[in-house]
Amino acid sequence: MAVTLNDTLGVKRGDIKHYDFGMPFWEATRQKKLVIQYCKTAKKYQHFPRPVSIFTGRRRDIEWREVSGKGKVYSYTIAHRGTPPFQGSEPYAIASVTLDEGVNVIADMIHCKAEDLKVGMRVKPYWHPLDNGEHLLMWQPDKDAK
Amino acid sequence: MSLRDTAIVAYAETKVMKKSDRDVWVLMGEILEALLDKTGFESKEIDGLVMSGLTGTGGASMFWAQSTCDMLGLEVGFCEQVHTGGCSAAGAVARAAAAIDAGMCEVAVCMFADTHVREHNGRNDRNYRRDWTDPYGLLGPPGAFGLLQRAYDAKYGVDLQALGKLAVTQRNHAIMNENACEELRVPITVEDYLNSRMIADPIRLLDCVMLADGAAGLILTSKKRAKEKGLHKSVIPIGYAERTNFLGGEGLVDVTRSGHEIAAKKALAAAGWNIKDVRSFHPYDDFLIALVIQFEAFGFCKPGEGMAFVRDTDLSYDGTLPMNTGGGQISAGQAACSSHNLIEAVRQLMGEGGKRQVKDTTNALVTGIGWINYGRNWGSSAALALVPNQ
Repeated sequence: MAVTLNDTLGVKRGDIKHYDFGMPFWEATRQKKLVIQYCKTAKKYQHFPRPVSIFTGRRRDIEWREVSGKGKVYSYTIAHRGTPPFQGSEPYAIASVTLDEGVNVIADMIHCKAEDLKVGMRVKPYWHPLDNGEHLLMWQPDKDAK
Repeated sequence: MSLRDTAIVAYAETKVMKKSDRDVWVLMGEILEALLDKTGFESKEIDGLVMSGLTGTGGASMFWAQSTCDMLGLEVGFCEQVHTGGCSAAGAVARAAAAIDAGMCEVAVCMFADTHVREHNGRNDRNYRRDWTDPYGLLGPPGAFGLLQRAYDAKYGVDLQALGKLAVTQRNHAIMNENACEELRVPITVEDYLNSRMIADPIRLLDCVMLADGAAGLILTSKKRAKEKGLHKSVIPIGYAERTNFLGGEGLVDVTRSGHEIAAKKALAAAGWNIKDVRSFHPYDDFLIALVIQFEAFGFCKPGEGMAFVRDTDLSYDGTLPMNTGGGQISAGQAACSSHNLIEAVRQLMGEGGKRQVKDTTNALVTGIGWINYGRNWGSSAALALVPNQ
């Protein structure tokens, strides 16, 4: 069954409210950079941003590291019923992507036909501009990936 | 031990309604009245109230349990609201038993009442969603279970015929349950399941629960007090465990695994059971795939063998492993703070299952699933082992 996916770039997402402990993520998106929390003690990444390391429970173990944003699709769903701002833009795809650094990040998957969307496929970031100068991270196929 | 010394001496339940025609406190009044009539307790003897926080009508109120005491004229020594989402019903039983054991109360009512379709007063959730999933249009539980089911499919393979069998089995039970939501009491086939419209592909409409209104309740007291009161027909909780934020200290978690791995082991050990000893199973059902994952986590079969287990097992009320004999939430309606499967298990063990009465009432196992966390499966997992009073 051929399904044409909507890229949802026209959806008005409004102001996205942030928690202060996640602001480094959002500030970095202004330069289309992806930064992820890293625990210096566990030597592991975590996402979404937390006020402490989820590995040790300590604030002081957290630092932010820039990552490439490349990864592969862990899972995906195709929304045939959207939340209110997305109503009328269905169907659209949302993917949970395992970054090469070992965290899963959920975002809209764009520039992809439904029949091409597969678990395990390589993806890279697409940065969608928001009204406040930040960018929203999305996924798109990484055609250069081997 | 708190659990084994406590008895559930009565249950009560309204019919599930697509939308309630009366106020949530009227429904609670009906439940209270039924519990008092069934047990012979006076309302003055009730000194514990345990409410579920899984309610769109009352959950956002900071004073929900207290204002309910006021509305119902209850003076209590233990006033509690359980906030473990869909684990709240089973969790309420454990907390009431613990409070009775600790001497904080002697006669406790667990009240499960919600009219979230008629009157939803918001949830005021503070969590990851506003930053990390709302901007992407991920539709709450169906979206999360879409991601979960696709990951399960990639790892083990999904058999839609098996999911369809679950849908049909539960629907057949709801048709035999006069308290199930009337609009859902129509027969369905596996074809109907397959053809139901996509909500969050691969999640179809008939994978999902439907929100509905209704109320239910239990009354618990010590076995000693139950005996003094001449209440011989009762159900004893003999094992309970819950797990919240399973592998919460890990960055990357296989979504086909859940906290039931731990909760099941602990609850079964407390009950002294092997999983093969379970005579009827009443697992939390918000989506059909959750049933499959629970069969695996509880050890009815190995991880990845859930679809085959469903294909090979007769899960109807008169089958080898009766499952959700009241229809489950998916076919009875998600009402009464998701207490439906718990109430059904108590009813069955009291031998009051009517047309759908299970043959073997040696025991029953009830589960809970609560909340949706980011990129995982669910936030809380609960297991409650029940036996009839001997």
